[in-house]
Amino acid sequence: MNFAERITKIPRQIIYAVIALAIIIPLIAPIGMAINVMPQTQKLIDAIESLPPDSKPVLISCDFDPQSMPELYPMLEAALNHCFNKGIKVLVLALWPQGAGMAEMALKKVPEAYNRKYGEDYVFLGYKAGAAAVVLGLGDNFKNVFPADYYNKPLDSLPLTAHIKNYNDISLVISFSAGDPGYRTWLLYGQAKFGFKLGTGVTAVSAADTYPYLNSGQLTGVFAGMKGAAEYETALAKKGYTLTSRNATKAMDAQSLGHFFIMVFIIIGNVGYFLIRRKK
Amino acid sequence: MNISTDILVWISSLLTLFIFSFIFRDNPFYRFAEHLFVGTSAGYFIALSYHNVVYPNLIVPLFKEGQFLYVIPLILGILYITRFIPQISWLVRIPIAFLLGWGSGVAIPAALQADVVKQIQGTMLTRSVFQRWDNGLWATIILIGVVATLLFFFFSRERKGVIKPIANLGIIFIMLGFGASFGYTVMARISLLIGRFQFLLGDWLGIIK
Repeated sequence: MNFAERITKIPRQIIYAVIALAIIIPLIAPIGMAINVMPQTQKLIDAIESLPPDSKPVLISCDFDPQSMPELYPMLEAALNHCFNKGIKVLVLALWPQGAGMAEMALKKVPEAYNRKYGEDYVFLGYKAGAAAVVLGLGDNFKNVFPADYYNKPLDSLPLTAHIKNYNDISLVISFSAGDPGYRTWLLYGQAKFGFKLGTGVTAVSAADTYPYLNSGQLTGVFAGMKGAAEYETALAKKGYTLTSRNATKAMDAQSLGHFFIMVFIIIGNVGYFLIRRKK
Repeated sequence: MNISTDILVWISSLLTLFIFSFIFRDNPFYRFAEHLFVGTSAGYFIALSYHNVVYPNLIVPLFKEGQFLYVIPLILGILYITRFIPQISWLVRIPIAFLLGWGSGVAIPAALQADVVKQIQGTMLTRSVFQRWDNGLWATIILIGVVATLLFFFFSRERKGVIKPIANLGIIFIMLGFGASFGYTVMARISLLIGRFQFLLGDWLGIIK
């Protein structure tokens, strides 16, 4: 086996080992690479930043499950931190059944750090099945879709939700979306029909699909994958906001090194392929 | 190093390692973790669906609040089960037809509005776009890309003359799109791997905070 053949047949165990080391080493000994905030991330940050403390509440939809947690959970936590730092009120719901668990986990942690009161500063509506019907129904009347919150308290009995009727009483909707139902459900059945401001945090796999909607103005801004979450955390830290965790930022060195070695392997594979082809 | 004493953290860490062991070859540890995942997922979804969907949306309104209109969704739901009885399995078409009718009626106008009308509007070059030169440049590139890509998928005429170079340009835009999607997919997979390593090194072994 000559050189060209050898480099095209690197055992996959070696590739996995190199990638694993490229991720583990910077997690243990961080390098501290710079994180630049992309325009699409900044747009959504600016949309939240422009809201005054007495503005209408922000509606956050947790449309993901534990499998997408490394990418989307840091965004959810950062968004809650952002809102509570600014004194913005928050409604949280889930279009995915497991999303309710993700939301509850964040809501048990973040509001406590800011002494925010349940029912006054934030309300958790929980999960409701029938994504399109839920989004359409909220445009008519929140209380028809969610007569009670996640803990079975009637929405009329909670100060924050007592006077909320429909999307006119919401300043911004943010969907943390790992697939369908997700940001497209909010876009198709909500934003297009009712015209509210919609932002999204998506897994990196679906990030490329969001750009046409960003360009047309249908999406206010996008957090793309773990990198988007790290950008969001970095931007908030630069503004002097406190954060309950910065897991995405801590992971960025590992992400960059992982990408670097994948690029190296792609180049090695292509060089080997061209050398073999030239010989033939 | 501060190793976790939580039994649940140990279970999930060991299951993660069982799944990772597939990197070397298929083995009984991997298969055990895989089957356990499928079984618990199915059980979890059944319980979750009952408590979050069937109970609050059907049992409570129909049997506790006496809203008898809910008999209709109950019957439609039961008709799905007829699929398992060959003699009356044709009845399953009724709830499917209902869902298809409702779904299409709701989805088609929404998709036309969000994916066609708004996207065409977003592609149009207006005077406001050119107020900043870089915005104008990007908007022009997007318009060229859309036209070239659409022409690539225009199969009613032979690809020659003026159509050929524009369609070829369309291929370049399509490849750039694929490249961006693939890059983001790699990023997503690495992110998931980082998430697992953060759990193993942090929550389990206590090496990182």
